[in-house]
Amino acid sequence: MTSVSTSAFYERSSIDMASLRSRAESLQAEMGSGQRLTRGSDDPVAASRLRALARSESFNAIDATTTARATTDLTLTDSALSTFASYITRAQELATQAANGTLTSSQQHSIGVELGQLQKELVSLANSRDSMGHALFGGETAGDAYTFDAAGTATYAGTANATELPLGDGQTVTSGLTGPEFLNFTAGGSSTNLMAVIKGLSDALQGGSSDPAQSARDALGALDTGLETVTTAQTVVGARLNWIDLVSERRTAQSELRAQEQSDIGGTDIGATVSQLQQTLTVLEASQASFTKLAGLTLFSMLR
Amino acid sequence: MSSDLFTIGSSGLRAARAALDVTAQNISNASTEGYVRRSLRLGEVASAGGYARVGDISLSGVRVDGLVRNADLFRQAEVRRTGADATRAQTELTAMENIEAGVEQANIFPAMSTFETSLSQLSSDPTNASLRAAVLENARTLTKTFNIAAQSVDTVGTGLTFDATNGTAQVNLLATELGRVNLQMTRTAAGTSDQVKLLDQRDTLLQQISQYADVSTSVAADQTVEVRLGGSSGPQLVTGGTVNSLTMTSAADGTISFTLDGSAVALSGGSLAGQAQGLVAVRDTHANLDTIADALVLAANTAQIGGVALDGTAGQPLFSGSGASGIALALTSGSQIATAPAGAGASSRDAANLEALRTALSSSDISGQIDGLLFGVSSAVAGRKTTSEALATIASSAKLSLDQQAGVDLDQEAVNLVRYQQAFQACGKAIQVASDMFDTLLSLK
Repeated sequence: MTSVSTSAFYERSSIDMASLRSRAESLQAEMGSGQRLTRGSDDPVAASRLRALARSESFNAIDATTTARATTDLTLTDSALSTFASYITRAQELATQAANGTLTSSQQHSIGVELGQLQKELVSLANSRDSMGHALFGGETAGDAYTFDAAGTATYAGTANATELPLGDGQTVTSGLTGPEFLNFTAGGSSTNLMAVIKGLSDALQGGSSDPAQSARDALGALDTGLETVTTAQTVVGARLNWIDLVSERRTAQSELRAQEQSDIGGTDIGATVSQLQQTLTVLEASQASFTKLAGLTLFSMLR
Repeated sequence: MSSDLFTIGSSGLRAARAALDVTAQNISNASTEGYVRRSLRLGEVASAGGYARVGDISLSGVRVDGLVRNADLFRQAEVRRTGADATRAQTELTAMENIEAGVEQANIFPAMSTFETSLSQLSSDPTNASLRAAVLENARTLTKTFNIAAQSVDTVGTGLTFDATNGTAQVNLLATELGRVNLQMTRTAAGTSDQVKLLDQRDTLLQQISQYADVSTSVAADQTVEVRLGGSSGPQLVTGGTVNSLTMTSAADGTISFTLDGSAVALSGGSLAGQAQGLVAVRDTHANLDTIADALVLAANTAQIGGVALDGTAGQPLFSGSGASGIALALTSGSQIATAPAGAGASSRDAANLEALRTALSSSDISGQIDGLLFGVSSAVAGRKTTSEALATIASSAKLSLDQQAGVDLDQEAVNLVRYQQAFQACGKAIQVASDMFDTLLSLK
């Protein structure tokens, strides 16, 4: 004969109710934290994926900072190039005036002084600093991009290449230009640079040349080439800024996808969880009620 | 003749009283651990006809034959076996969960990611002092997380060894007790309340031992029990009054083994087996952590030595020590990080060696190895959780089925109370009838 022993009844009821209670509590923990996984063993594969996503996200944050820096540097470069262009235009104006043979030598001399001043300003502009305080046009040098020698000639002191900044996913961008890249050009078959041309003209107008007007006419051609070189460099900078925009857009899109995947894998489905919790609680209440009824059903209470 | 009726009635009274006693005993022990429902075995007293009294009617009432203990040996053995399995699985699961918590909460993986991202940030401006300091501090955090993980895993091991030592002592204590019960058992008669009580004790002790180790038992005719550990052909723990001592040995790597009566015993159930398995997992996890820490030290230091620091001097090792518990930060200042390649001057912004360091870290796949370790531990926990839940369900249903058969049902006892009360009243009536009959005889005129 199988009898239902009293202790077996109590044990079974307590096991059932305890398991329902722990189920309700784990659902509540899921809702409270918004996370489906409280520890890795809840779903090892998802936990591993979440780790990888969090890792990409943290690299992504660094890439975003670097990209912002590259954008700042390139924008600084761009505005510096515009200033260079306006300086060249001013030099062209002065050279055109000087090329006019009707000027007196003192007038030519004063134009020469102004051009000399212009050359110093160009060098100090070429020595401007980037967002991190390094030489903007000096490549990877620690000091200034251009230095003056004893004769007042500016020479390039930077490195051959500009800094490359990583944009993430293996993409990089050259975050600036070195001085020679937009200041050096070929004029009249020989290689020269903008500062040297202006300095040469300035010296010629201040008595260095027997025919200053001819020197000014010669310099005009060189200045034209110089302006062209700077404008070309500005186009390159614009293209690089567009490239950064493209990469940033892609990164933002990927970041959104990652966030979506993160919430898909690790987030709680509130609707489903609430209805599961409600179901569990209903069953728990029912089993508590039936337990109270059954536990009150003892023959002893009937015996008088 | 009516004296016979008296005797019969009074024997019935005695039997009903005894049955009521047993019922009351059952009710009061309804929730006593290890108590098995008793019932009374009654026997008829009737003498066989003797020489020349073949046709005689000779009835002498009822006698109490003995106490019956409603225990089913098979179900008890099942409870011990499944209980030992469930305890082993539960102990191993707890150990694995502790290892998982230790490794996961040490946050090695996020620390490694942070270290690598700070290197990536430094590469955008290699001479920046604050970025260098960030790299150094993140490297320090990384070494600390390795230390913490190794320490937590070791703590789990220490706890397991402590529990196993205690478990071994408990097994020996319980075995000694069981030997004593065996000796007493040989001196008691069958069916007496003494023996029934000893049987309860014997089964309770066996069940307690089965929590620690898998026992196989065989019961002799005199109800003494022989206990072997580690399978039915394993060494004897208890036979009769002889008790052999179980000893635990810790190996140098922290794992434990057991010997009983001079021979090695491989336990496959009970908490001791679970603790032994847990300690193997502790050893493996620690070795895995050590391998990863050593790979990190090798990759970082090799790259670091290949370059020059900010002041142009040759790079010094980034980490010192070996193993997850020994790894430590060797550099004292961010300027010592060798970002520039060998031959570069002071304050060089050439980040070629920093690239080499990052490449070395990603090609030795340190973060992948850490992820693999975490994945291994957590999937081991997930697998063991399933096993443990299944074994716990089996064990609890075995226990329920034993309880249903051996436990006290209060309703049934209530019925018995009424039944034996009526039997008692009926026997009293029989005595009254005998008395009336005697009066009838006496009043014959």
